[in-house]
Amino acid sequence: MLGLLGEQGSDFAHKVDYAHDVVTIISVVCTVLIVGVMLYFAVIYRQKDGKDHPTPHIHGNNALEVIWTTFPTLVCIWVAWLGYDSFVDMRTVPEGAMEINVTGRKWAWDFQYKNGKRTTGELVVPVDEPIKLVMTSKDVLHSFFVPVMRTKMDVIPGRYTYEWFKPITTGDFQVFCTEYCGNDHSRMLARLKVLPRAEFDRWLADDSEAKKLASLKPSDRGKELYVAKQCVTCHSLDGSPRVGPTWLKIFGREGKLADGTSYKADENYIRESILYPQAKVVANYPAQGMPSYQGQLSDDDITGIIEFMKTIDGTTKVELSQPTVKKQPAAAGATPAERGKALVNAPDNLCATCHSIDGSKLVGPSFKGLWGRKEKMSDGTEINVDADYIKESIYKPQAKIVEGYGPVMPAMYEGKLSEQDVNDIIEYLKTLS
Amino acid sequence: MAAHASSSAAGHEELNYLNWKTGIWSWLSSTDHKRIFFLYLSSIMVFFILGGIAALIMRTELATAGPTIPSIVKDSHTYNVFFTMHGVFMIFLFVVPGIPATIGNFLIPLMIGAKDVAFPRLNLFSYYLYVIGALIGGVAMLNPVDTGWTFYAPYSTTTSSNVSLMVFAAFVLGFSSILTGLNFIVTIHQLRAPGLTWMRLPVFIWASYATAIIQTVATPVVGMTLLLIIAERAFGAGIFDPTKGGDPVLMEHLFWFYSHPVVYIMVLPAFGVVGEILPVFSRKPLFGYKMVVISSMAIAAVGFIVWAHHMFVAGISDFSAKFFSVVTFLVAIPTAIKVFNWVSTMYKGSISFKTPMLYAMGFVFLFMVAGTTGMYLAMLGVDVYYHDTYFVVAHFHYTIQGGAVIGLMAALHMWFPKMSGKMYNETVSKTAFAMLFIGFNLTFIPQFILGMEGMPRRYYDYPVQYQTLHTISTIGAYLNGFGYTFALVNLLWTAKFGKVKAPRNPYNSTGLEWQTASPPIHENFETIPVVTEDPYNYGVHKHA
Amino acid sequence: MSSNAAVAEHHHVGPGEPPHIHHMDTPTAYGAAKLGMWLFLATEVLLFAVMFCSFAIMRYYHLAEFHDASHHLNLPLGALNTVILLFSSYTAAVAVTKAQKGDNKGVIRNFGISVLCGLAFLVIKSIEYTGKAHHGMFPVVWNEHFYEYKNFLGLYYCMTGLHALHVIIGMVIMVIYGILPARQNRYSGRYYTPVELSALYWHLVDLIWIYLFPLLYLVG
Repeated sequence: MLGLLGEQGSDFAHKVDYAHDVVTIISVVCTVLIVGVMLYFAVIYRQKDGKDHPTPHIHGNNALEVIWTTFPTLVCIWVAWLGYDSFVDMRTVPEGAMEINVTGRKWAWDFQYKNGKRTTGELVVPVDEPIKLVMTSKDVLHSFFVPVMRTKMDVIPGRYTYEWFKPITTGDFQVFCTEYCGNDHSRMLARLKVLPRAEFDRWLADDSEAKKLASLKPSDRGKELYVAKQCVTCHSLDGSPRVGPTWLKIFGREGKLADGTSYKADENYIRESILYPQAKVVANYPAQGMPSYQGQLSDDDITGIIEFMKTIDGTTKVELSQPTVKKQPAAAGATPAERGKALVNAPDNLCATCHSIDGSKLVGPSFKGLWGRKEKMSDGTEINVDADYIKESIYKPQAKIVEGYGPVMPAMYEGKLSEQDVNDIIEYLKTLS
Repeated sequence: MAAHASSSAAGHEELNYLNWKTGIWSWLSSTDHKRIFFLYLSSIMVFFILGGIAALIMRTELATAGPTIPSIVKDSHTYNVFFTMHGVFMIFLFVVPGIPATIGNFLIPLMIGAKDVAFPRLNLFSYYLYVIGALIGGVAMLNPVDTGWTFYAPYSTTTSSNVSLMVFAAFVLGFSSILTGLNFIVTIHQLRAPGLTWMRLPVFIWASYATAIIQTVATPVVGMTLLLIIAERAFGAGIFDPTKGGDPVLMEHLFWFYSHPVVYIMVLPAFGVVGEILPVFSRKPLFGYKMVVISSMAIAAVGFIVWAHHMFVAGISDFSAKFFSVVTFLVAIPTAIKVFNWVSTMYKGSISFKTPMLYAMGFVFLFMVAGTTGMYLAMLGVDVYYHDTYFVVAHFHYTIQGGAVIGLMAALHMWFPKMSGKMYNETVSKTAFAMLFIGFNLTFIPQFILGMEGMPRRYYDYPVQYQTLHTISTIGAYLNGFGYTFALVNLLWTAKFGKVKAPRNPYNSTGLEWQTASPPIHENFETIPVVTEDPYNYGVHKHA
Repeated sequence: MSSNAAVAEHHHVGPGEPPHIHHMDTPTAYGAAKLGMWLFLATEVLLFAVMFCSFAIMRYYHLAEFHDASHHLNLPLGALNTVILLFSSYTAAVAVTKAQKGDNKGVIRNFGISVLCGLAFLVIKSIEYTGKAHHGMFPVVWNEHFYEYKNFLGLYYCMTGLHALHVIIGMVIMVIYGILPARQNRYSGRYYTPVELSALYWHLVDLIWIYLFPLLYLVG
């Protein structure tokens, strides 16, 4: 009804939201009534001209006391029941739920699947299937909170706790740590990625990355990650300018930061820049350009990347394997707009990382109301957002930049999205106006 | 009550408790409850200011996503230190001793017609325990503690900062609180004036009595828990640290067994203050006096069996979660009864809007918000979502700042003429009230919304979609802080330079404390009053 | 009442007379002191209650270890200490009766015995501690062999250590508020409050041990 808690991602979310709606209405009505009566009394019984007037000597009224003891009691029973009811659902795990082990540590989340596959900072689950998280901590208390699923549970060293949910929609969702755990508590984030079943199965069975990485020497591992973790999108190996500084001879490089101080790219600087990209931004590069890899890379991964950086000498090349199999995110028979929505939300297209659909300003302009809008460009011209403009922006992002935004969108969609895909996305954007 | 409003012409050098002995030592060694009130008040204000500065630094840092003031809050660790400092100072050094040890110290003997508390030297000893605790806490901040005021294990048993010293400070402060509570219980039992039966006690005395019971009964528990944390850190006693076979959830249980009732230590006296103010400025008896009294005692009693509602997602069994949810709702009922009776007191009154009355009415609104949002957090399924989000932060501040601190401000304005013997400027104090009231709501209403959007608490940084609300909240915080400064400077200035002398009973109240001089003489009353009527005997009797 | 009545409470009072307290009369003062002491004892009980709770919970987690570890405690010495404390509690009670009869010598004698018993208790306790340390079951000198007893022994030291602290405080109280004033014939049938309260405190110290002993030495 009121939708105060935002999108509902799990099958019990509507129950929580219903309980929340009821208590919200009760709260608002009670507060308005009581404060209203108080203000009403204050106005009509005020002393006129600063003069005292006679008042009756009223000690109280037993009938009223009974009424206003009974009334809140009944309200409390009702509300307590609603809370209880929604709680029972979220504590009762259905038979046959898929179990995933979760380990919290300062300051990242590790996930392990039944087949041994491990991830860090990214929990991938299939849609429409109950998921049970069996959780423990390596060090101090943490808490695993998925707002969109309406569920949360503390993660405790030395014992196991659990929580479960059944995702009802695909997409990328935020996970927070909500139990204070030290310095980087606020960076102990993770992504929850809900995929269609078939796609999830493919993802789960795909252990090539892990196997390959484990057997590689550190610098090769770094090289693999350079592609796999999308570093390649913004950092070149040959000195050519991209969104971020080139990695050619980056190790040991010295220069100026945005705040005027100087830096030297040693191991510690690189590590910091990977984990906290906004801490020390090199001069003349966008301040909010790079996302944090906190929780997505292990210590070995970072060491590997640093080792890889040490080897880059201008001849280094990487294989950029474009996905050859085109994923079909939406079921046959879906409308173009639905296909477009699925493309926008598909995790490896990364659109949602920078473009919101609710009007809030992220790295790039929001998709909400984009279609048909007049946008002012950074060169001062004004442009009507039409099919041609969107097509150009997707394939050649640097051609026209909306004023107030940085030239940070990667040019990675040519060959990745077909003409048909782009048309579908445009149809989807139209629905957001 | 013994009504004789002889507004004797104030002579030049009339002796009162402020001037009957002079010199700094006569203050520091005084066992007079009114002077000890002053000692406490000046000390807790130091920590109110320090805690307030910490809060403003946090709010400034949070005004924008990413680092905002890197010169002060240079990293997340610094931020964590600031919120720990804010919590520890505000809770242990400001709000807990807040109303009980200051206003309670001043008013309890005056309101019951006694010359002093039962154990005046113990009272002074409590104050010095407070000072010692405060000093230890200050020393602990040299290697700043970053655990948050909750000291949750195993973070608190493993972090390298001065946790042992800080929890020892809290232990000493707890002892101070226990002895104050014990003193008040005995005082109320033994030293009531002739004719002052239990059912003639002002509600502030009842509230203080309930508070004192909680102080005496709950504080030892946290004291011992804190000592066990020290034992854990010093020689690995293996009680809370899971790597040594201990149980961190046990620590949470023991901590909240005290720290939930402590919320009532903070807010019950504020209920009492509001119950005193409303009848005076409505010229009506307190509506449903008996129910107000019973509800105070009920809150104190039920407050002891609800602690685990802080732990619905802490890994306790589902059965305990359900039990504690149900009993938590039991607190809502007496609280609601109080609000209904307060509002009804104004019915057919003759209401004047002096500053204390504005604070009392503001309190009713803020406490309605605090109480109703408390229902969200008592509801199991909803609390799972809200636990440790900004919703909790906002709710907590509505109860503690909107409840206890506004109550303290109300009390300071109400009894200021009695305390200092001077009248403050109403226009200034009302303006200050408006500022801090608006600022307060502007700070914390956005935080409710942030909570709805899932923003977790104790975050140094946050995703950018939360930024607008954070910015509004920061602006509100500054207005709030400015309002407090304005209000307190007004009182301080009046106490020092004010010219308008206060009469014995400027508000024409029936309370015993108003029947003696303003400010009172050293032993409160020329002759011990004899009480012959019920409290709040205002208005025209029907069968008179 | 004169406005300078705040001056201290023990001046100009003859032997056996209650002290002059400026803000309340003597029966009120007696009632206040007694109520205050009982409340204080309640807080002490709660202080220990935390450790009893922790003990119960830790025992639930580590049942076998607690069982084994408790056998490492010295049962005869513990039992001897129990007898000593029980006896000292008896003499403390006698001291109150003596005070009520105005027998100041009797107060000195009986409290003296209680204090000596407390001392004996502490000596025996330290013998026990030293023995433990010798076997590597003490904080600084942990022998890894006994690592699994850590939870039990950790609580054991916390509980008995805090109790020993209370024994010391009790002894000091009995000397300062019982023996020393009694040497100046301070007590009589009209005034014996400090003796009664000191004895009350000592009974509490005894009472806590009555619970500690079976819990730690017998039940485990």
